[in-house]
Amino acid sequence: MPSSHALTAPVRVSAALARDRLGVAAVVFFVMSAAAPLTVVAGVVPTGLAVTGLTAMPIAFLVVALVLAVFSVGYVAMARHIANAGAFYAYIARGLGRPLGVGAAWVALAAYNSFQVAAYGGFGAIAAPLVGDWTGADLPWWLIALAAWALTAVLGVRDVAVNGRVLATLLVAEVVLVVVFSVTDLTTAGFRPDLAALDPAGLTGAGAGALLVMAVTGFVGFEQSVVFSEESRDPRRTVPRATYVAIALIAALYAFASWAMISAAGAGAVNRAAAEGPELFFVLAADRLGTAAVHLGHALFLTSLVAAMISFHNIISRYAFALGREGVLPRAFGRTVPATGAPKNGSLVQSAFGLAVIVAYGVLGGDPLVQLFFWGGTAGGLGVLLLITVTSAAVVAYFGRRAQLENVWRRLLAPGAATLLLAGITTLTIVHLATVLGVPPGSALTRVLPWGFLVLSGLGVCWALTLRRLRPAVYEGIGRGARAFSFSSFGPVRSFGPDRSSGPDLSSGPDLSSGPDLSSGRGGAGDGR
Amino acid sequence: MQPLADDLFLTAHDSVHGRCLLSPAILGLGLGGAVLAELVLGRRLDIRGDHLALLDDRATGDIASAAVLGHIARDHNRGVRDWIAYLGSGIAPDLVGRRLATTGQVRRRARRSFFGTRLVTEPVDSVASGRPGTRVRVAAERRERLPQEDLTLAGLIFATGLDQYTLATLGRADRAHLLDQLRRRLPEPLQRLLGHAEAAVGEAVLARRA
Repeated sequence: MPSSHALTAPVRVSAALARDRLGVAAVVFFVMSAAAPLTVVAGVVPTGLAVTGLTAMPIAFLVVALVLAVFSVGYVAMARHIANAGAFYAYIARGLGRPLGVGAAWVALAAYNSFQVAAYGGFGAIAAPLVGDWTGADLPWWLIALAAWALTAVLGVRDVAVNGRVLATLLVAEVVLVVVFSVTDLTTAGFRPDLAALDPAGLTGAGAGALLVMAVTGFVGFEQSVVFSEESRDPRRTVPRATYVAIALIAALYAFASWAMISAAGAGAVNRAAAEGPELFFVLAADRLGTAAVHLGHALFLTSLVAAMISFHNIISRYAFALGREGVLPRAFGRTVPATGAPKNGSLVQSAFGLAVIVAYGVLGGDPLVQLFFWGGTAGGLGVLLLITVTSAAVVAYFGRRAQLENVWRRLLAPGAATLLLAGITTLTIVHLATVLGVPPGSALTRVLPWGFLVLSGLGVCWALTLRRLRPAVYEGIGRGARAFSFSSFGPVRSFGPDRSSGPDLSSGPDLSSGPDLSSGRGGAGDGR
Repeated sequence: MQPLADDLFLTAHDSVHGRCLLSPAILGLGLGGAVLAELVLGRRLDIRGDHLALLDDRATGDIASAAVLGHIARDHNRGVRDWIAYLGSGIAPDLVGRRLATTGQVRRRARRSFFGTRLVTEPVDSVASGRPGTRVRVAAERRERLPQEDLTLAGLIFATGLDQYTLATLGRADRAHLLDQLRRRLPEPLQRLLGHAEAAVGEAVLARRA
């Protein structure tokens, strides 16, 4: 009778809750598998070299890691005080107002969907020649992409716990492989330690913005650590530690692997990256490790892309779920598959979008590697960079009104510095967008991307203002995720309780803690304000 | 009428094969909310804001709610959400399963599989196990006034997402009518409790714990 033992002492509640919760290692695993290390090392690094012609990639990773670590100080601090901490838009809604929050939610959905379809394109393009090598079958890239798409779509509505275990195993294999290949690079004949790759001066050139946004792309996934801020054993320590550990590990891995690759490729690194693409990573170590290792590397490269797809798919369907619960998106998005807890409609709509993009590229003959994988990844990277920047400003604004909650380093100095640095990186990226995308300066695409995000967030702001007028109770719940309402499929009943803020919450005011008294017999949207 | 959590447990099981329709985490949160609701309905507890208030610590007549009440009496300085999470982490399903076993409505047996042995609790009689859900659905179809217990059960059916099975055939207008009853007729403490249960389910989904 385990439960009656559990019921003998009050302290057991805390112990039982803690037992179910996550430690630092579990959160680090989760974050790193979303970052998909092998995809970045074999996919993003050679592409970055080829497109920018700069070898400063390792230092770019280290600089971005530092900036993200400083950003994370305020980010994880604010995560402790708000609901729905896994979503950037929740921070922005609480820090800079609900309209900007909805604008950010739209941008986030677009950015993560860009990553998702980029992964499909990359998978198809990279797998097609490999499948040809392995089986002799000459399959079109879109057919292979559709297979990956189908797997993601099915897993999206299946048991997420199984996903977690599979992802963790793949992640360990990926990291081991990256380390082994990179160490092998050090022993190859052509290896010459490239000190220029570690010189921060390399980040002042014309392609600096490109390198930095690519480095940011490599870290995407780190922001998911705060999903567990309420699930962790010790909310004050577990999530912050896991975030810093993940950023440090990712940075060390990327910087070392890219430095080893550039050094081993020697003076012709840029040209070789342009000619060989993702193969560069595998070819460099192939002489010493043999073809079996290369085949294993290719296989893991593909599973790494699949892991990235699954992670982004889960992020997107949960964004849609939170927005559906709030009523910002149609409430049907707030539904789950009861037997698995998977956010059903968010997942299905994401899959439908992915299918449409793959089919459109297949029919119109778009280039999956450049126009889907690379442009999609860059668009996603720019979108996430914009979100991180605005979130950082939101942290400053949020704590500006709640100075008693955190010390001055966490609430002002770190997020303030991070905001300035991130704004700098964003500006450089937009200025160098032609380099980033590998298109001629002044090309239409360089205007479409930033304006696209701007228009999208503008539409989000308009939608939020419409909600404020027409459905004020929905408006009040923006950014609160699962806590926004009760009976979410039918409309608001009331707001339940304040945030889990440890101190008094100054901005929530009467809307949260002393909402309309429904026992008097009235409820619904009209009572929200 | 049998205890609310027992009704929810039976509703959460497929009336043909006896399989659970909810993930273990969501079932646990639903049953945790249900046992707390039993104590609120029995005037042992009140929900004030985010916290529980103990009104009466005399033991109730059954093992499940008595065990939970005894525990709350020793440690009531906790939020409703903590209690739902705690009870949901296996405690409430275990207590409710044992309570149902004493009345012979469920069978508890070890099921062996490749990954080891685990204890499963299955309804004995598939016809009887479908009854609570059917009762709520039929009452909603007839636009009857549901008793508070069944109204709370309906709320938990919505909160756990079980309505996709139990109330799948309910027409749009009947559904709206049922919800209207929930909003207008259920006392505020129970509404708050249901809101906490639904939020707990939603956050479990967001935190990939569901």
